[in-house]
Order: sequence, then C-alpha cells, then structure tokens
Amino acid sequence: MDNAGTPGAAVRSGAQWLVSALEAEGVDTIFGYPGGAIMPVYDALVDSRLRHILVRHEQGAALAADGYARASGRIGVCMATSGPGATNLLTGIANAFMDSVPMLAITGQVSSALMGTDAFQEVDIFGMSLPVVKHSFIVRCAADVAATVHEACAIACSGRPGPVLIDLPKDVQLARAAAAPWRSREASAVHAAGAVNLDAAISLMSRSARPLLYVGGGVGIARAETALRDFVAATAVPVVCTLKGLGALDPDQPEFMGMLGMHGSPAANHAVQSCDLLIVLGARFDDRATGKLETFAPGARVLHIDADAAEIGKLRGADVALGGPLEHMLQLLAQHSPVATEDWRAHCASLRSLYANRYDAPGDDVYAPALLRDLSRAAGPGSIVACDVGQHQMWVAQHWRINACSRHLTSGGLGTMGYGLPAALGAQLACPEAHVICVSGDGSIMMNLQELATARRYGIPVKIVLLDNGCLGMVRQWQELFFEQRYSEVDLSDNPDFVALAAAFGIEAFAIERRADVSAAIDRLLAAKGPILCHVRIDPRANVWPLVPPGKSNGEMMDSAA
Amino acid sequence: MRQRLLITLRDTDGALQRLLGTAERRGFRICAVHAELVESAQSQVAITVESARDVALLARQLLRLHEVCDVCVA
Ligand SMILES: Cc1ncc(C[n+]2csc(CCOP(=O)(O)OP(=O)(O)O)c2C)c(N)n1
Repeated sequence: MDNAGTPGAAVRSGAQWLVSALEAEGVDTIFGYPGGAIMPVYDALVDSRLRHILVRHEQGAALAADGYARASGRIGVCMATSGPGATNLLTGIANAFMDSVPMLAITGQVSSALMGTDAFQEVDIFGMSLPVVKHSFIVRCAADVAATVHEACAIACSGRPGPVLIDLPKDVQLARAAAAPWRSREASAVHAAGAVNLDAAISLMSRSARPLLYVGGGVGIARAETALRDFVAATAVPVVCTLKGLGALDPDQPEFMGMLGMHGSPAANHAVQSCDLLIVLGARFDDRATGKLETFAPGARVLHIDADAAEIGKLRGADVALGGPLEHMLQLLAQHSPVATEDWRAHCASLRSLYANRYDAPGDDVYAPALLRDLSRAAGPGSIVACDVGQHQMWVAQHWRINACSRHLTSGGLGTMGYGLPAALGAQLACPEAHVICVSGDGSIMMNLQELATARRYGIPVKIVLLDNGCLGMVRQWQELFFEQRYSEVDLSDNPDFVALAAAFGIEAFAIERRADVSAAIDRLLAAKGPILCHVRIDPRANVWPLVPPGKSNGEMMDSAA
Repeated sequence: MRQRLLITLRDTDGALQRLLGTAERRGFRICAVHAELVESAQSQVAITVESARDVALLARQLLRLHEVCDVCVA
C-alpha cells in the first residue's frame, strides 16, 4: 500500500488524515472516549464511516479492542484523550502486549508547544508505555499522520503482533497539510528453515521414542491450526497446550492431552515429565506452564520452533531451533517426520482416560465445571468464550470445549481482572453471528461493570455468566492452601444484588442457585436476543483442581487439600 | 560477565530510551553507554552490559525493536 507519487494530494487536517488513513486500512470499528486533547479527531469522526463505540471507561476501550482483534484476527483500535484518558488505556495496552494482540492505541496529547511544561492533562504516555508496546510514535506534523497510521498498523500486525501507540498532539490534529508520501515497508523477511536445522530436527524426531508437542499461543497467532492438525494427523504425536494454545487442536482429537501447567490436566503434565523429545511450537516456557523450570520435562531434548527468534533459548536451551513461520515449518516437518511409536501413543491414551475430567460432584448446588461443559456444548463449536481472571478462568480452560484459539479469549500473560466483559463486547461486534459468552467472577465483573451500559446502548447481545462465590476465589484458594487459611481481604459476601444491578443498566438478568436450574438457564441464555446476565451462586469453598503448588515440579500435582 | 554491544539505531522518538530500557528490564546492568548521531537519521550506540544471562539473547531481543537496524556483540 502506498501513495508515493500521487499528484496534487488533498490538503486535510491531521485529524482528518487520521480518520481517512484508518478507513484506508480497512478499520471499521474504534473503541474510545473523548476529551479535550482528542477533540479534533472526534470532530473528524462525524464525517467518517468508522463506527465508534463509546465505552464508559478507557480501560474498557482497550480491552474491547483486544477482544475484537483476537476474535477477528484484524487490528483492534482504541482511542482516548491525553492524561487520565491515556493512562486508563495502559492496562489494556499491556494486556495486548503480553498476549501479542495486534492493536492500535491512539492518544490525544497537549499541543506541541505545551509538551514538557506540565500542562493540564499532560502525561508522557509515550514514555510510560514504552515497556508495554511493540512500538510507538509521537507525530510531529500533520503531513506525517497518514504515513504513521499505515506504518503503525503494519508493525502491529506483522511478525509477532502487538500494540502500537500513536500520540497525537492537538496542534498536529488541527494543522492542515498534504500527506507526505508513504510506502509500507517490506513485511519482515520470512526465514526459511535452514537445511541444516531442518535435517537436525528430523533426525531428533526419528531418534525419539516419546515425542510430545507443547503448543502455545503462537500457533493461533500464526493461524497455523490447520498445519498443526495436519502434522498431528500425519505423525500421531501427542499434544499438550498452554492456556493460550487451547483450541489449536480439536479437543476430541485422540492426541490431545489437555492443558499443561499449574492447573493443567495430570495427563498433560505426566506426559511432559516422561517425554524424551519436546517439540515446542509457538510457546515460551512461561512459569505457569512449566512449574519449577529445572524439573520441567527432565528427560527431554528440545526442538523449539518459533516465529520470534528472541524466544528461543530464553528460559530453556534448545537442542535444535527453527525460527520462522510456524505453518511453513510444520508443513516441512510433516513430510519427513516419523509416526510416533505405538507404545508411547498407548501410554498417552491410558493417561488421558485415567485422568479424564469427572462431573459427578456430590450435592445439588451448582457445580461450575459441569455448567461450563454443558453451556459450551449447547452453545456449539462456533461460539466464543471470553473470561475474566481467577478460578472461573481456569474452569473455562479445563471444561470449555475450545476448538479454535480465536474463540477462547483469556487474559493469559497479564491476568487482567476486568478483561472478560469488554473483550466479549469487542468479540461480539467483530463476530455478530456468534454466540459470545462472558464467564466472569464476582470480583472481576466489578472491575469493568460500567461496560454493561455499552452492551445496553448498542444492544450487543453478549451472554454473561457470573459465577459468584462471594469471594476473590483464586486468592482465597491460595490463602487456604499456602498461607495456613489466614484469609486476608478476600471476602465479598456483601456483594451488590447483581440481578438488580444489571436491571438498573437495562440488562435482562436472572439468578440460579441449584443444579436442577442449570439446563433451563442455559436455554434462556442462548435464546436471548439481547444482552443477558445469569447470576450463578456457587460454593465459596470450591477450589480449582488439580494444582501444582508454586515453586514445585509439574509432577507434584495436588488433587485436593486432603 | 561484561560484554559490549554495538548497535545501529534509526534516530526516532524514544529510540535510545527504548534500547536502554529493554536491556535493563531484561536483566542486564548497563555499565557504559556511548551514543552518537552519525547520519541525519542514524545513531551508533555502544553499550557495555553485565549479567549472568546470555548476551546473545539480549541481542535478539534488541533486534526485535523497530528502530534497531543492527546489533553486534563486540
Ligand atoms: C486487576 C487485577 N487485580 C488483582 C488481580 C489478582 N487476582 C487474581 S485472581 C483474583 C480473584 C478473582 O476473583 P473473582 O473474579 O471473583 O474470580 P474467582 O477466582 O472467584 O473465580 C485476584 C484478586 C488480578 N489478576 N488482576
């Protein structure tokens, strides 16, 4: 894409260039909130075909843009004014950075002449955001605005995606200019696997009796799910996934062993501990996945395949490394790789059946894992789940039938409470036909509750399942298990009446308490035409099992406090 | 162990800040820095860093930065 050599280019204000450049990039939706330093852009929006979604807090804008991007695979765009508007975006920008989500964050800034003078609503958002952006720009003149937008979008979406910030001083928004010529840079070079490494990788695989694929979020980001599924079909190598890798493989595929790590399945963790070759695919040895790193996959050689060369060898050395596009690597490897041995496959299959999830918990109160399993089955394979952070997030990972990475929106790297609702709104706007379900906790929902007003205003038909255990469940669980039951500031038993609260926002809402009510509740949720909230009371003492205690090896999983 | 890196940088807003911040956050103590604008739009930066971590890893992390054109471990 370029405009180099366009004769007699129009003269427009910086704000108009911003809007037209976004349109030219194919952006259709922006999540934002106006204010003094971004007013010229809001003025330009009046004449634009861009759909602006007025959220009720800038954090909601950034997280909704994140949900939009993850669900659609297109760049998510958010916008705020200078000062507090910009700082409110930061958590959402960091969230996108940690999970490699393509995002463009646009902030108004005080006029150039006032920058550096502690002017009203001036903060150095450029400096504050440096560690959590893939790149950032301050635009110094109106002529550069369009070129900067195009460059920013290219950077955000290329290679390992991430958020890019454009800080736009108010005088630059107002100034009129012809656009400077711009030409998008070459996409970052595709590294073909060196012949030597490819041979080494194949030889490593042929010498392995117990190979295992350790699949991370990189597979979904690279849209390499089909290549992975083909590879697994050709080689029958068993697979474990990280939280963000879930969905890369169909959960019914016999090779799928489940999620590894702290709240992973025992089958997955035992397979990792006993494999002799770990084929790491778009994963980064995150501590939540590995447990105590020194004892992780102790007998395994490592074949590390990643699009981001900086991930290779960061935490665990690789015997063989392949840097480059995952899809291409998988296709090359699939042609030459041997089929996993019968013994190893049988061993993994027996682990899988031995540790299959059970849903026969006693009692007649709602059992969250069973509810989530039933709801995901009823919602169907095209549905999207967006969750918040805590025990309910882990239950979603364990029990939701996730069959595509883009249909499981979870704050993996940053663990941002408050992610679920805005992310669900963004996803629903990106995928209007899909059932979008937000699974939240009574702590998390309050972090961005104001976005119920956004759901109402635009009639965004998200289905919210609020699992209310009357406490900050995940923290309570850790205090119970690792702090001698010294409960500190986790009680939420004075929660508001969530049904009445939702109703005050104009959202249909109802509550259930008994297991027998679950099936009708699921029917009602799925039949709703507009936004709806189901308040589910669950046992405050329920814990997420199994669990690898902090600092322990993945082989030392706890199954219950007993 | 101390090691020296030579970096060619496009001279854009915050380029040096981003470079040094990345090195520090990635666990490398910065012992010396020399930066010079060599052309209108390029800087040559030499940094000496100290860490138990592998400097090759830092070099790869710096290469990810958009304004970094080249990194070599001296
Ligand atoms: C913004 C933010 N603050 C604090 C935390 C720490 N934290 C992680 S889980 C959790 C409890 C979440 O409670 P709730 O949303 O009710 O979910 P539950 O664990 O009960 O399912 C807290 C406080 C966090 N992840 N994010």
